[in-house]
Amino acid sequence: MLAWRATMLCCLIVLILVGPSVFAASIKIGDIHPLTGRLATHGLESHQGVIAAVAEVNEAGGLLGRQVELVSRDDQSLPDVAISRAEELCAKEKVVGLTGGYEDSLVGAVSEVARKYQVPFVASASLQKELARHGNPYFFRVAGLQGFVEPLCDFLSERLRPQRLAILHAGTPGATEFAADLERCLQPRGFPVRLAEKFRPGTPDFVPLIAKLAALPADVIVSGGFFADHILLVRQIKEQHLRPKAYIGPWGVAYETFLKEMGEDAEYLYGTAAWMPGITLPGTEAASRAFVERCRRLFKREPSSTTMHGYTAARALLAAIEAVLRRGQPPTGANVRQALAGLDLLLPMERLSFDERGDPRSYRHVVLQVQGGRFVVVYPPERATGSAVYPAPP
Amino acid sequence: MWVTALVSGIALGSFYSLIAMGFALIFGVTHAFNLAHGELVVLAGYVAYWLWKGWGLSLVFTFPVAVAVLLCLCLILQRLFALLREPLELNSIVMSFGLAILLQNGMLFAFSGDYRLIRTPALTEGVYVNGLSLTYSQIALVALSLVAIGLLHLLMHHTYLGKALRATIQDREGAALAGINVRGMGLVAFGFGAVCIGLAGPLYGSVHYLYPAAGLQATLIAITVTIFAGVGRIRGLIVGGWLLGLAESAAVILLGSSWRELVSAVILIGLLVFRPRGILGREEG
Repeated sequence: MLAWRATMLCCLIVLILVGPSVFAASIKIGDIHPLTGRLATHGLESHQGVIAAVAEVNEAGGLLGRQVELVSRDDQSLPDVAISRAEELCAKEKVVGLTGGYEDSLVGAVSEVARKYQVPFVASASLQKELARHGNPYFFRVAGLQGFVEPLCDFLSERLRPQRLAILHAGTPGATEFAADLERCLQPRGFPVRLAEKFRPGTPDFVPLIAKLAALPADVIVSGGFFADHILLVRQIKEQHLRPKAYIGPWGVAYETFLKEMGEDAEYLYGTAAWMPGITLPGTEAASRAFVERCRRLFKREPSSTTMHGYTAARALLAAIEAVLRRGQPPTGANVRQALAGLDLLLPMERLSFDERGDPRSYRHVVLQVQGGRFVVVYPPERATGSAVYPAPP
Repeated sequence: MWVTALVSGIALGSFYSLIAMGFALIFGVTHAFNLAHGELVVLAGYVAYWLWKGWGLSLVFTFPVAVAVLLCLCLILQRLFALLREPLELNSIVMSFGLAILLQNGMLFAFSGDYRLIRTPALTEGVYVNGLSLTYSQIALVALSLVAIGLLHLLMHHTYLGKALRATIQDREGAALAGINVRGMGLVAFGFGAVCIGLAGPLYGSVHYLYPAAGLQATLIAITVTIFAGVGRIRGLIVGGWLLGLAESAAVILLGSSWRELVSAVILIGLLVFRPRGILGREEG
């Protein structure tokens, strides 16, 4: 018994003495996502993107020889849990930077913790403009609302030229801002919005709303809802025999899983995407293919646009840490923040550099249409792989 | 537009009543406040989805399997609730909340977080006359809810078992003094509740969509409709469901979609203040 205790004590002393020097070699970054709860579907996808980015760096030998340790936490789709998890990552785990986040209510909560601890936070999916106006120097994000609004506004006014346009949107801050911005963009171009309606995400019945659309009758419907809302809305539009010339879902339509679940009902719907397998920024084809292969290998599934958002955010954070190490500086929050502010990376989703508010400078979606069970880029012309079928055949 | 809203309100209300039926029955008899009710509905939906997608079974044939699975689960659940001590309502809330999280994570593990839909093209077709569309799914929802409520009503009012269940709902101690096996009634309530949940689940996956966290919404619907109906009032479930569905549809037409839930909440608060025994409840004295 005494010998056993002595052995254990020796092991403990060795661990205490050697441990810090061994672990100091790795760099810790924090990842916080909704892995359970109402946002788990997309939270998991984005989380996988972060894992893929860390795996890519570690497989290539790490950051200047130092392996990256990913510390992941589940915010359960709840802002108060997101705050406590972020506090844990910053105060207890002492992460160098934070990434992840899905939906503004969660991202906003984490961004304030990041500011408090002076730990840079690169959000993977956040849209609300207000978040970037708080003057938080530690907040960065790889997506922005204008990336959706500008291409859609151009596409609608140049190509579809709707007579009776309806904009429906989920009652989330980002979707509400999206609807208002799109209307503001289209109005001076001579395309007023004839019906604008807000709905709660997860609404079980859109039929009364469809009755209002039919009363117009709306020829183009832009629906700023999410994946699940499109599933119901599109089906109920069909059931109610409303035949719009175009249905556009900026979020949620451009997913392979959407095609799988909707089958033929997805035909001729429009969506938007910053990236999809096979749709990538010119010059990044090899990187995009490598990312898809890595995701298939790690997760046994096709990555989605959300996975790429997680990957892009993590890559930005890792590149900034690497830049700090290259300068021979310690990877402190302030140093990594400074490196992020001066970052310029060409990634499959976007050429990533941040403005003074932490918003991406070049984030821009393409407009897609489902044709023959696959996605075809129909706008902008320089990236188009086919022409839009408009009006959609009955 | 108004006729469409009326039809949609009644169909939606029927959907709500089907979801609420199992919850109302179990809560009425056992006073167990089952916060995992929605998760059980979603689980029944996933069972149906798995049979439909994996085995190519038609939606109709998924119902018996979903009912059988839910029967087994609800009987286990009944044994767990039977172990709880007073205050039963509070303890059942705590236990079922934990169970809801457990089921959610189990479904996330088994079915991933992806949205799932049981596509039944036959249900999306229907009758279209003079701009009014009546789909087979709407007809099926109304018919199934009426049949289920009718059968439950017959059971509760015209059989000894039903009368014993009603007596337990009204006064557990009085029923026990009259020689009714109150614990046995709990088992029966969970059994009938399981059948209702087993019927609601596949429909939920067919007219709505499935994802692991969808149960919360179903639980809220069940609680709201049960309050609308009044505890133990089976016919009130359909009236409560319809009232809720119609109020929501009218709110969308008159005020806009964003008012939908607010109008329901105002009606619910009004009912709690002015008719605490539910829409069909008789006031004492």
